[in-house]
Order: sequence, then C-alpha cells, then structure tokens
Amino acid sequence: MALDLRALGHKTWRTIASIQTGVVLLILVVILAAAGTVVLQRPATDPDEMQNAYSPQVLRFLDALGLTDVFHAWWFIGLLVLVSVTIIAASIDRFPNSWRYFSRPYKYPDESFRRSVRPQKSLAIADEETGLVAAERALHEMGFKPERVVRQNNFGIFAERHRISELAVYIVHASLLLIFFGTVVDGLWGWRGYLSLNEGQTSNLIDIHDGSTRTLPFSIRCDGAGQENYQDGSPKKWWSKLAVVQDGRDVQKKEIVVNDPLLYSGVRFYQASYGSNGKVDKFSLIATPSNGSGEKQEIGLTVNDSVPLDADTTVRFAEFFPDYAVRDGQVYKKSNYLENPAAHLVVTSKKAGKDFDVWFPPIEDVADNSKAPYQFQATDLKLGHYTGLQVSHEPGQWAVWSGVVLIGIGLACVFYVVHMRFWAVPVCDPKTGKCSLWIGGTANRNRDVFEQRFSDLVASVQKELKLVPRTSASEQIATFAGD
Amino acid sequence: MARAKVEQQQPATGMTLIVLVGLAIAFLLFMAFLNVVKSGNLLNETNFLFATLIFYAGAGALYLGFGVTGTQSYLKFASLSTWAGLVANTAAIAHRWYESGHAPFASVYEMLLSFVWTLAVLTLVAEKKYGVKVIGTVTMPVAIVGVVLMQLLRTEVHPLVPALQSTWLHVHVTLAMLAYAACALSFALAMMFLIQDNLKTETVLAVTSASTLAVYVSIVLTRFEKWGGLNLVAWNPEVKSEVFLSKGVRLFVVVPDLGWLMTLTLLVVASPLVFYGLARWKKVVDQKDGFLTLANRAVFLSILLQVMTLVMFVLRARDGRYSSLDADGLFPTTLAASPFILSGLVGGIFISLLYLLLLWRRPDLERSLPSADNLDRITYKTICLAFPLLTLMIASGAYWANQTWGSYWSWDPKETWAAITWLVYAGYLHMRITRGWRGRRAAYFAILGFAVVMFTFFGVTYLLPGLHAYA
Repeated sequence: MALDLRALGHKTWRTIASIQTGVVLLILVVILAAAGTVVLQRPATDPDEMQNAYSPQVLRFLDALGLTDVFHAWWFIGLLVLVSVTIIAASIDRFPNSWRYFSRPYKYPDESFRRSVRPQKSLAIADEETGLVAAERALHEMGFKPERVVRQNNFGIFAERHRISELAVYIVHASLLLIFFGTVVDGLWGWRGYLSLNEGQTSNLIDIHDGSTRTLPFSIRCDGAGQENYQDGSPKKWWSKLAVVQDGRDVQKKEIVVNDPLLYSGVRFYQASYGSNGKVDKFSLIATPSNGSGEKQEIGLTVNDSVPLDADTTVRFAEFFPDYAVRDGQVYKKSNYLENPAAHLVVTSKKAGKDFDVWFPPIEDVADNSKAPYQFQATDLKLGHYTGLQVSHEPGQWAVWSGVVLIGIGLACVFYVVHMRFWAVPVCDPKTGKCSLWIGGTANRNRDVFEQRFSDLVASVQKELKLVPRTSASEQIATFAGD
Repeated sequence: MARAKVEQQQPATGMTLIVLVGLAIAFLLFMAFLNVVKSGNLLNETNFLFATLIFYAGAGALYLGFGVTGTQSYLKFASLSTWAGLVANTAAIAHRWYESGHAPFASVYEMLLSFVWTLAVLTLVAEKKYGVKVIGTVTMPVAIVGVVLMQLLRTEVHPLVPALQSTWLHVHVTLAMLAYAACALSFALAMMFLIQDNLKTETVLAVTSASTLAVYVSIVLTRFEKWGGLNLVAWNPEVKSEVFLSKGVRLFVVVPDLGWLMTLTLLVVASPLVFYGLARWKKVVDQKDGFLTLANRAVFLSILLQVMTLVMFVLRARDGRYSSLDADGLFPTTLAASPFILSGLVGGIFISLLYLLLLWRRPDLERSLPSADNLDRITYKTICLAFPLLTLMIASGAYWANQTWGSYWSWDPKETWAAITWLVYAGYLHMRITRGWRGRRAAYFAILGFAVVMFTFFGVTYLLPGLHAYA
C-alpha cells in the first residue's frame, strides 16, 4: 500500500514537472485570455453597452460562465497559479543536475570523453611541455585564462568562460515567478481609485473602482488646474497643482501632468482628466440704468452673490445652468456639460417693489430683461473646473520591476552568453614515444559559431607550436609539427 | 539541351533588367526634379518619400529578378538601391520629426513610415550578417506596399495627445517596431524554409487562396449592405478623424455597388481553392493535374479581379459623398478610414503574386535560397532576437502605462494579445530547445507566431475595443 502511494506521488510529481503539462496549461491560458478580449468585460464596460451588445439570454449565459469578467475569475487566477506551480516544479526537478554541472567543472577529460566529444583535433608535438605551452599561449590570445590540471598520472590544460550560462534558464523562470509574486501582492494589497477635486477643494476620500470608498491618512488639496491646447484645439497638456496635507501642514507640493504623477507614502496621483464642473467662478457684467440716467458699473458675481447697484436696486446671481432646456415656461438643467449655458439674475427694486428676472440668453416667456431697471451686458464668464485624478497604491510593483530587469539579464544570458570549454591534453604513446596534443571543446549553444572558434584556436596552437624553439633531443620530431 | 540554352540567355537578360531598372529610376528622378523646379521646394517630405518609393521599387524589382533568374549582379544593385532608399527614408523621418516635434509614432501614416524604415534596415542586416541575400524578395515588396499606402493616407501632422507625451513612448514603440520586424523576418525565413523543404506547390496554392478568401469573407460578412453597397466608415475632413455617432460608435456610409464587386471577387478568389479540393478528392492522376491547371488559371484570373477591386475601392473611397443609414446628409470617406480593408486587398494581391512567382520559377528560387537546414537555423536565431525584444516591449509598455494610467497591467485587449504573442513565441522556444522540434513543425510554429503578431498589431486596433485605439 505504501509503495502504491509513493508511486502515485512520483507520477504526480513527474506530471507537474513536465514541460508537456506546462505547455498544455499555457494553451489554456491563451484560449481563455483571448476569450476575455473578444467578450465584453464587465468592469470596463458600461452595463448599458453590455445590454446593447448581447441579447438577454446570451448575456445571462456569458455571465453564468464568468466570461464577462475572465481576468478576475477564480478559475483564471487559479490557472495562472497552476502555471507558476509547474514552473517551480520543473525548475526544482532540473536544478540539481544543472547545479552539479555548474559547481563542479569537468577539468580533466578522461579517455571515453576524449573519444566522443566534438569538435576535437589532435596535433603532433615534440614533447608534452611544448604542447602545453603552445596551448596556453593560444588560449591566452583568445582571451581565456587557462589553468594546468594535474591528476595522478596525467595532466592537461583547461579553460572555460561564462559558466553562469548553465543557470541562465533558471534566472529567466525565477524572474517570471518574481513578477507573478509582485502582481499577486498588488492584487491582494493594492488598490486603484478616482479622486475628483474642484479648484481649492481638499479631500481624502478615494472612490475605489470596485465601488467602495477609501479614507487616506492624509489629504490632497487642488491649488489650481488647467488645460493647454494646440493650435488646432486638441488638448496639449492637463496640469494640476497639488498639495499634500498631513496633520494640518502642507508636506509636499507638486504640479502634475499626464505621465508625471505625484507620489506620497506609496500612493500615486495621476492626472487623468480635466473639465468644467458646471459651476461659475465669476460672471462679469456691465450694468447700465435703463432710463439712461447714471453711469455704467462693472460688477462681478458668483452664484448667490448680491451686489447693490444703487440705493434702490440690488442684483443677485440666482442660478446658473451649464446646459439648460425650457419646458412649460420653466427652465431645467439638462446636463452638467457646458452645452447651452444660461444665467439667471434677479434684480430687486425697492421702488417698484418687485423682482425682475434677467436671463442670459434672454429666454422667451421667462425673461423680463427689457422691463428691468438696469440693462446688463455680459463681458466674461469664468467657469470653475475640476481635476480628475487616478489614484493607485501598488506595493508589489517593485517586485515586478526587479523581475523585469532580471528577465532581461536572464534572456541575454540564455541567448547570447555561451558557456565555452576547452581542454588540451598531451598524449604520448609509450611504445613509439610519439606525442600528440589532443584539443577538444564544447559550447552549450550557438554551436555553429563555436566550431569556427575552435578552428581558430587550433590554427593558433599550430602557429604557437611552430614558434617554440627546438631542443636538441626533439629536432627530428619537430618536423612533424604543424600538421 | 534546353537548360543549356536557358543558361546561355541569362547574361543577356541580366544586363537588360539592370539597364531597364536604372532607366526607370533615372526617369522618375527626373520627373521628381521637374516637380521640384516647378514648386521650388527640394527638401520636403513628399520628395523624400517619393525618392524612397523609387529606390525601394527598384530594389524590389531587382530582388524579384534575382529570385527568378538567379543572376548575382542583380543582388549588388538591389542592395545599393535599398541603401539609397534607406537614406531617403531616414531623411523623410528626420523631416517629419522636425516638423511635428515628436518621433514618428502618433498615427498610422507615421507608423508605416517607421515600419518600412525598419524593414529596409533588417533586410540589409540579414544580408550582411546572416548572408541571406534574397530576403529582399519578400521585405522590399512589403516596403513598397507600405510607402504606396502612405501616399494614399492623410499626412497631416497631429500634435501628440497628452498620454503620448513621454520618453517611454519612444522606447516602447521602437521596441515594438523592432520586435515585429524581427517576427516578420522569421516568418519570411520560415516560408523560405518550407519551399526548400519541398512543400508541395499545391499546398501553397491552397493556403494562399484560403488566406485571400478569408480577407474577402471578412470584408463581405462585416460590411456588405443588403442592396449591394459596402459599409465604410465616414470621415470628417475638418477634424481629420472618423465620424462618431456616440462614444466608440462609428458612423458608416454606404458606397453603392462595391458590395457586389467584393462578393464577385470573393467567388473568383474561392475558385482556386475549390479546384484544389476537387483535385484532392479526385485522386486519379490525370484528372488531378487537370484540376490543378484550372486552379492555377483561376489564381491568375483572381489577381486581375483583385487589382480591379482595389482600384475601384480606392477611386470610390477618395472621391464622392455617400449617404448613411444612421444619419441624414451625405458624408465623405477616405482610405485612412478603412485601413483594414485596404491592407487586406493589397495583401491579397501581394501573396497571390508571390504564389505565381513560386509556381513559375520554383527551381530557380530553390537554387538561389540557402539550404533548408540553414534556413531552419536562421529562423531560430531570428526568433532568439525577436523574443527578448518582445519581452522588453511589453515591459516598457507596462512601465509607461503605470506612469500614465496608474496601472501596469489592466488586461486591456492590446496588452493581453501582446502577452499571448509572447507566450506563443515562448512556446516555440520551449518546443525547440527542450523537445527538439526542428524543421517543418518549427516553421509552422513560426508562421503561427507571426499570424498572432499581425492580429495583435492590426486586429486588436480595428476589431476589438479598448484603450489602445491610437496604435
């Protein structure tokens, strides 16, 4: 019974750690993610648009399957977690081998290795020392650091470069896991929301995207906001002057624009939008008495403001409509967008004992502009604006950016950093006394380029052999060199 | 005997083509010079672009000539022509950058300008570094198509909307251009591998006509208006953008008779596929050959019809005001409003022509291309270049999104499809490195990868909604 369980456990492990499983899971991720781009997703799309796009039955079906919010569905996130698990399992499975390979360099090639490794070449040499020196020189020329390796009865030369390349693939997968970890942290502890501030307004309440409201331990005040346009009228720049208020003091100030947010205490404030809030900052007018007597007056009014024009008359800015509509003799606010503005002034005359309704524009059946004791000419209308800020807190993003840097390094290692090894072993036949230098090399990638390098090394060794001064004992044998 | 005769003729036709191309270039340059003298303005963007077109066209002709006849001297001149075109292209980009105050990434016109530049650079890199001299056969015609499309599109300089005013924009889009161009290169190499790997010409026929059919099917299914017109997006010339009824909902006008034309072309384009199917079904040898001959004749006919359709489409789209079912009045449209349809029509013609090249000159092509093994290896190397670029592209896009919208990953369709593209190429690498997939399977995977790249680049922008509307 115990044996069965172990076998089952082993089989499970083999399945989880296999590349096949990983690929199958990734194919699933791709299919589901693609579905999530084709089907309208709920958090981003208005409910009205959803109902316009799909019939009620189809919509119910899609909702039931979770296809309208794929990327936050438990099964999708679970799938991603499963992919991470297979990556971890596959790495753990393969790492011990790679580590052994990495930590224990194979410095002396035994006979069977010398027989089988490719590429390899044997050159005739006068004696062992000549061969070793020539090999050392040639390797130095190529930029390697050769070392002499001594075993009981034999010795040789070993040189290698970029051993880290054997572990490069683990760096890549580890960085992927680091990125996933960062996104998980952000998913659990991060939040994103929206804050809209009128000029001069202070607030610490953020509307979170999921509908809730978050209270920050500090407040943001908007000291000004504006928009600059290009010559053709399209927006060039939105800016806001923001101040962070903590414990009643201004602790930080910054003018932000799109692409340049304000960062305070791990929270970022992004310039997202800008517009008129439908309220009037100041309405400038010139008031002239209707009966011709008296002088022009320049006045500026905000809503609900009253200004006396003379001892007898006052004018009050009663209402402002950014977008008005008239029905049955009544003026209504159609929307908050600045489409059809209308201003309502009430002129009170003590002498006449009544109020006059002055409207800009003079709306029929509602306005008494001509009857009023003063005539008004509008000179300027300054509207109030709000600035729309995206607010986010992403504690995991440092893991994400580190992971990105690491994966860049890892990929560079995987594709372009090659682990190259060279060995040179002098082999002397005890019977004939003839010696030859065996040279071999390996590379863990780009083998075609490596073969060229190997030929260059052999040519270099041959050149070095020709340069070695001949000793008396080996004069005859030296003629064999350079083959 | 016949072959010896053909070989003897080669040198004669070799010089002729070079002289012809040289004369054509000189003539066009002279015409451009006259225009310059008339207008008094030499160094403007139109002239640079015209020069670019001339030189790329010359290079394309010479590359195709090499592909067909195998004359080495063509390659030298083709390469020179590509260099000249690249210089002109760089001048055009520099001029545009100076005039607009930002790098050329803010509209379809500018993206095309950058893309053809990258194609020329990659062609020359492939020649010098990898020794694949014939890559120009595929890349230069694509570049020519790109420059022609640019001539047809609006060229007004659009100032950058606030979201695009960032260094990270330049980084992200540059990486995207490089990555996509590398993927395009791997696609071309994989196709060449299939030719060298003895993929049957009939199979290429089937795939080519199926792809062209897919273009026309998608056009007819989405835009055919029941009285035979074609629905095209209306264009507002004053605002230089599409006409919107409400947020995200475009206004369509009906161009009469184009719908019928598209349907007719669809049927003609489908016929080679039908004949191929009959040939496969009737496995009797001589009948099979008969059907295949019919299929090839049908391809030739379909090219004529496709060209006619393109011309009619261009003429109708550029002039005229049309009525709409959703609003009163007449509205104009323009080619820039239907880039997907335009690319589809042009692409269909292009791949049909490439198929004819294969059909008529396969032995010559096989002689001038590197061996299948080499092509397999070089495809892999190109993807080894494309994959890190894709990774950095996604990463820089995420960083830029974080700076602008406060979120580095919001499962936006463009982001999601970029990730899918990345996963597909990661799949290729895994299959090759750990499972030893080579040859045919690797080539098909590379082709699939490029199809996904094309969807990410074009399909997401024009078929799916989202934040990435301007890319």
